[in-house]
Amino acid sequence: MSRRYDSRTTIFSPDGRLYQVEYALEAISHAGTAIGILAKDGIVLAAERKVTSKLLEQDTSAEKLYILNDNMICAVAGMTADANILINYARQAAQRYLLTYNEDIPCEQLVRRLCDLKQGYTQHGGLRPFGVSFIYAGWDPQRQFQLYLSNPSGNYGGWKATSSGANHASAQSLLKQDYKEDCTLKEACGMAVKVLSKTMDSTKLSSEKIEFATVGQTKDGKIYHKLWSAEEINQLLKEHDLAKDETAEEK
Amino acid sequence: MAPHSNGTSPHWSLKSGVHQQGCPELQVLLGITGKDFTLIAASKAAMRGATILKAADDKTRQLNKNTLMAFSGEAGDTVQFAEYIQANAQLYSMRNETDLSPSALANFVRGELASSLRSRKPYNVNLLLGGVDPITDKPSLYWLDYLASLAPVPYAAHGYAQYYCLSILDKHHQPDITLERGMELLNLCADELKRRLPIDFKGLVVKAVTKDGTVEMPFDNDRIVKSA
Amino acid sequence: MDTLVARYSRPKYQQNEVFSEQEQQDLADAVPSLSLKFIMPPVAHPSAWLRAATDDRSNPSCPIKIAHGTTTLAFRFQHGIIVATDSRATAGNWIASQTVKKVIEINSDLLGTMAGGAADCQYWLAWLGMQCRLHELRHKRRISVAAASKILANLVYQYKGMGLSMGTMCAGVTKEEGPALYYIDSDGTRLAGNLFCVGSGQTFAYGVLDAEYRYDLSTDEALELGSRSILAATHRDAYSGGFINLYHVRESGWEKHGFTDTNPVFWKTKLEKGEFSNVTSDLAE
Repeated sequence: MSRRYDSRTTIFSPDGRLYQVEYALEAISHAGTAIGILAKDGIVLAAERKVTSKLLEQDTSAEKLYILNDNMICAVAGMTADANILINYARQAAQRYLLTYNEDIPCEQLVRRLCDLKQGYTQHGGLRPFGVSFIYAGWDPQRQFQLYLSNPSGNYGGWKATSSGANHASAQSLLKQDYKEDCTLKEACGMAVKVLSKTMDSTKLSSEKIEFATVGQTKDGKIYHKLWSAEEINQLLKEHDLAKDETAEEK
Repeated sequence: MAPHSNGTSPHWSLKSGVHQQGCPELQVLLGITGKDFTLIAASKAAMRGATILKAADDKTRQLNKNTLMAFSGEAGDTVQFAEYIQANAQLYSMRNETDLSPSALANFVRGELASSLRSRKPYNVNLLLGGVDPITDKPSLYWLDYLASLAPVPYAAHGYAQYYCLSILDKHHQPDITLERGMELLNLCADELKRRLPIDFKGLVVKAVTKDGTVEMPFDNDRIVKSA
Repeated sequence: MDTLVARYSRPKYQQNEVFSEQEQQDLADAVPSLSLKFIMPPVAHPSAWLRAATDDRSNPSCPIKIAHGTTTLAFRFQHGIIVATDSRATAGNWIASQTVKKVIEINSDLLGTMAGGAADCQYWLAWLGMQCRLHELRHKRRISVAAASKILANLVYQYKGMGLSMGTMCAGVTKEEGPALYYIDSDGTRLAGNLFCVGSGQTFAYGVLDAEYRYDLSTDEALELGSRSILAATHRDAYSGGFINLYHVRESGWEKHGFTDTNPVFWKTKLEKGEFSNVTSDLAE
């Protein structure tokens, strides 16, 4: 029955659904988990990377976390190839705004530009929607630190803590349970690794399996964003006693 | 002086033959920033050739709650350009439920002037853009000319008023002045213009931008100026 | 009979100018005999030829660039006259000198200022000095400022249209006239007045001067205002700069009040009084 409405993204099913969009969401729920937590002095994004291999070059292949702009980064859940198209689009939109107004684009505007594009693919244009959800972390002078989530339908929303990808439902309930208003960035980082350790298959984590990034403010008020190095991630995992026992693995 | 004073362009020879333009240099635009405000003043005379067509012209447009733009230049171009910018500023406010900052607007206007300059028929408009940043409450003033130069300045003027008023403001302006002192400085400038400019510019419209918005300021244009 | 008629038929605008009968006689006959002693260039229309060769406004690559830009000012006040100038000479975009004396000491009582063609001013003001001295020798008393300025005005009027370029002020204090100030330019304009600024930087000087000018200024205030007005012009006018040349003219003669480098004066004014707030040292934005 549903086949008649499957093959085109532009057609509603009789019960008012867009199957292609739902399939895209389904694809995302198989991707590695990504979470974002808003703290009072910054934002943390953390993501599980699914494909790990000893042969994989660590520092040249960030597959989950990307810098969009001086004031914004994002985590990807879904098809990396689709994400690349959107990230490129977002980067260009941000630069175009900077060129016109000599100011960074406000976070929500950049999110909306991406979502307008995503929405377009649920109605016309291509054969299928983008199979990507994004978690955005950014800062702008009007609304300070902000966290957004967008999905293939073109919907987006602002969050205090959110997640996407595999096990996102359980991640979400963990976040809901643990989230404290006015937590610091450091506490948020701790919360992020704890949630990831519970939603991922293995309880012991390592820097090969996750990516980590923060947006924060320096002492002199400048906004920075940082993609964490493997050493920094391992350090954090050690602090929270979640590191994989390295000596055990050596043997 | 103007890039299009080239008489060989058929478009221009046709236009300039139709009516004589009022001299844009005689239009007065002044801007002063202070502690928590930006003042913009513009002459009230609308001139064409040797005629004053209107003596209560307002050469300013409000772009959003806290940004005001004053313009001078070629007849027609000025209002068209100002209202085009105004419309775009308001469109942005509606779309994004937030106003562009004075700085963002100034850079936007500069971009529009720059692309206009490279078009078949450039806008011949000089501008002062003043405002108060809605987030930081910092006052700012931008000087722009038809060649798309943009400069943030503490005080500014366009036309012949530059030659008389900038030296006055060089001497008497301080960055942290009050609105009352700002008005005094405008009076100082207006008096000098009345004394030395060879035409009657019919007084000034004065508007003040503060964090609470834009208000027209009462300004005595009938002061008798003593000449030395 | 003619002198009788002249005495009573003098037009109103001349009635407060103090000319002796003798001065009027000089004005009538001294000038023609002293002019037109120059050899003309061997071309059909010397003045047109000169204009073509020197007018850098219509032809930026003209072969002769005349030194033009200047700021000079003079104003009358209760204790005499303040005369102030900058010291820059420019030829096109070239700063030819920063140490030009633009106040010309015609004699120990009379000062002339220099704006426009430097050579024209220097030559004709020196010539005016000669005429004034001849007047003194002939009449055993000092020439009035009105008469001196009129000699110059009549001279330049004879050369009208032939390429002279000067804007000058004659300042002096005499018993008969009190402080007297005249503006003369190469168009033939001659005006008596309280306050004049001449040169490419005139508007900037006017701005500062007009705002605070009063006839009852004290001497110190007047000197400061004159100097500050020149500073304003040297700051905004590219063709003015160098040194501030400051004079005070009184009935006992003129007094020099320095030839002061503008640069330290500018920074002192900015840093101590907080003026020139548009000049910033931070290069951000």
